[in-house]
Amino acid sequence: MALASSSYPVAGAQTHGEVDRLYAETRDLRLNGFLLFMVSDLVLFSSFIFAYLYLRNSGQGWPPPGINRLDVAFAAFNSVVLFGSGTTMHFALENWKHGHFMKYANWLIATIVLGVTFLGGQGYEYYTLMARLHHTWSGSGIFGASFFTLTGMHGLHVFAGVCFLTVLLMQSVMGKYTPQKYFGLTAGTLYWHFVDVIWVLLFSIFYLI
Amino acid sequence: MSVAVHGEVHGGGVADHIHPEPQTFVRKYIFSIDHKIIGIQYIITSFVFMGLGGLLAELIRVQLMHHSGALVNPDTYNELYSIHGSTMVWLVIIPLLTGGFGNFVFPLQIGARDVAFPWLNMVSFWIFPPAGLMLYSSFLMGAPVAGWTEYPPMSLQGAAGTSMWAAAIFLIGVSSTMTGINFLVTLLKMRAPGMTFTRMPLFCWAQFATAPLLMIATTALGAALAALFIERQFGVPFFDPTKGGSPVLWQHMFWFYSHPAVYIMILPAFGMISEILPTFARKPIFGYKMIAFSSVAIALLGFMVWAHHMFTSGLAPWLQLPFMILTFFIAIPTGIKIFSWLTTLWGGKIQFSTAMLFAVGFIATFTFGGITGVFLAAVPFDLHAHGTYFIVAHLHYVLVGGSLMAILGGVHFWYPKMSGRMMNETLGKWTFWLFFIGFNGTFIPMHWLGLLGMPRRVATYDPQFQTWNIVATAFSFVMTAALLLFFINALYSLRNGRKAGPNPWNARTLEWQIPSPPPYYNFKHVPAVFAAPYDFAEPLPYRGLEGELDPSVPAPVPAGH
Repeated sequence: MALASSSYPVAGAQTHGEVDRLYAETRDLRLNGFLLFMVSDLVLFSSFIFAYLYLRNSGQGWPPPGINRLDVAFAAFNSVVLFGSGTTMHFALENWKHGHFMKYANWLIATIVLGVTFLGGQGYEYYTLMARLHHTWSGSGIFGASFFTLTGMHGLHVFAGVCFLTVLLMQSVMGKYTPQKYFGLTAGTLYWHFVDVIWVLLFSIFYLI
Repeated sequence: MSVAVHGEVHGGGVADHIHPEPQTFVRKYIFSIDHKIIGIQYIITSFVFMGLGGLLAELIRVQLMHHSGALVNPDTYNELYSIHGSTMVWLVIIPLLTGGFGNFVFPLQIGARDVAFPWLNMVSFWIFPPAGLMLYSSFLMGAPVAGWTEYPPMSLQGAAGTSMWAAAIFLIGVSSTMTGINFLVTLLKMRAPGMTFTRMPLFCWAQFATAPLLMIATTALGAALAALFIERQFGVPFFDPTKGGSPVLWQHMFWFYSHPAVYIMILPAFGMISEILPTFARKPIFGYKMIAFSSVAIALLGFMVWAHHMFTSGLAPWLQLPFMILTFFIAIPTGIKIFSWLTTLWGGKIQFSTAMLFAVGFIATFTFGGITGVFLAAVPFDLHAHGTYFIVAHLHYVLVGGSLMAILGGVHFWYPKMSGRMMNETLGKWTFWLFFIGFNGTFIPMHWLGLLGMPRRVATYDPQFQTWNIVATAFSFVMTAALLLFFINALYSLRNGRKAGPNPWNARTLEWQIPSPPPYYNFKHVPAVFAAPYDFAEPLPYRGLEGELDPSVPAPVPAGH
């Protein structure tokens, strides 16, 4: 914007151009803020991952004595569910951009269902693990400290994401977004992919190595 | 991103972030979304907590007047210094420098009408006083006893107040993270047209280097605090060695935050000094770019040196060496700043106002504290001095002689802008000299005590150390008197100070070109910027400040779109 042409909007007499410019600028700010929020959230996970790797390599062997190896096959299935939900979310956003409302809604509902399925799977995994560990978190030692804290924190993020997507679905039904102005949906998609990426990290360090 | 060539101004971020004028008292002064009011709220709250933390400090000093402990039993003494340290770090210095002065000053300096997320800013502030009260409520249930660093296993054995401490600091961390995100987006996106990075005032550069530290390091601390809380409340072992955990893990997690936090507590102070010195030396700041870039260099290096706090924790010797060398490296950008400030003074037409006295005092005491920091970075010396009063002396030289000195200078400098009235200069000069003498008298003897082997964090000590402890306590009363005088001056001047006018110091950054106190909209027109602000021989590098208020209130874009 050259200075000479920078006329400020006058209240009550805004042109479409001004409104669009304000929207674009506001969206830009929010996008940057949201990305930085995700960076700081990543640091939170990284700190716990550091703690896990530190405890894992503190010379007691892993898994610690008395703890069985994790059930990789089940977790792999559950991971596929979560990664699939990332794909469906992508389709939801693309359909929104092209104005296909029904397709958008179906893909978004599929995403939410897959997210809930993942949480259910995680609950089942916790239940079986806890049964083996005699139903106490504190009795699970440094294994439980790192595994349940990290995957639990991720599970809370998935839960928050499911709530976020549900709110977005209701908002879009109520007409809050248009195919041109949909920052909330962008943020929701970014967040959901972020949760996916965190799970890739956690799956690798808990089940694969 | 703004680029300007030959006086032409292109680009420019979100300039017009104007709010409707707040109508009610509550919207204007309590739940305000105006960055200036929020900044002042932070400053007042932090100074209240400073009164409490200072009271604890005096109790500590009185206790140490006699070698067998003059006042309280050792358990209570542990609580006193733990809460004293936590208060001063998290409730006083960090909020004053970032939420307080950061909020008030830098949006004005970059020509913005507010920060990027005003509502988030309000939430950040309103987390802070309740969290502070939570910290103090821990006295009711047995306050933490392991110092502000709360090393396990002692922190695992502390009373219930330790969990309250962890929760309170966690909340303050959330507030800091939000502030960091807010400031970073504001600095990146909301500079006035023509305000390129190399035209930003140096205080803005300092905030720019600090914001990522707030955002990243504080979150890491949040993880450590959450782990401590979980371990204390649910018995899940992270840090307890008898259950397979590792106390050294806490030290890594804690210092990965708390070393960058040291720079959170000093970089904005550097920025304040870089504003005060050229204004009262009537000379362009020397080495503008070097000062600006060295802040960023310090922030980056700050993430790579945390383990120098852990040389006595059984860190592998091959790991100690790189941490020692990287820590030495930090002396280079810091030295660049100090020499640039000295060169700014060289040949200047110096006016020793109170703010300038504090700035010059800062250079002296901070350099002293910085040099003892280089001592401590050296592994052999650290093994000798670790856990002694030498550490106490060093950290107070950089945090009180550094950060607090800059803050007091900053208050005297920006008070006219905040309140519209001047502070009393005679009282101000008394404040400075009492503070300077009291401060040095309190903390210089601690270097000697430390080298002689007096351990920190103990309620009683060997009788041979008594003389210097009495000296330190006596001078600490002088320092307290100075701070009381400062509070009296600030309150008295609010009503009785001389009217300041827009620019009492003849300063050149943008905040001085608008009325004092600034109106809710900050700038009638968002100005265009043509150069960095420090060239005192040239006319002001701004255009478009004058004229009628642009009445525009942009149509609010509904949230969440």
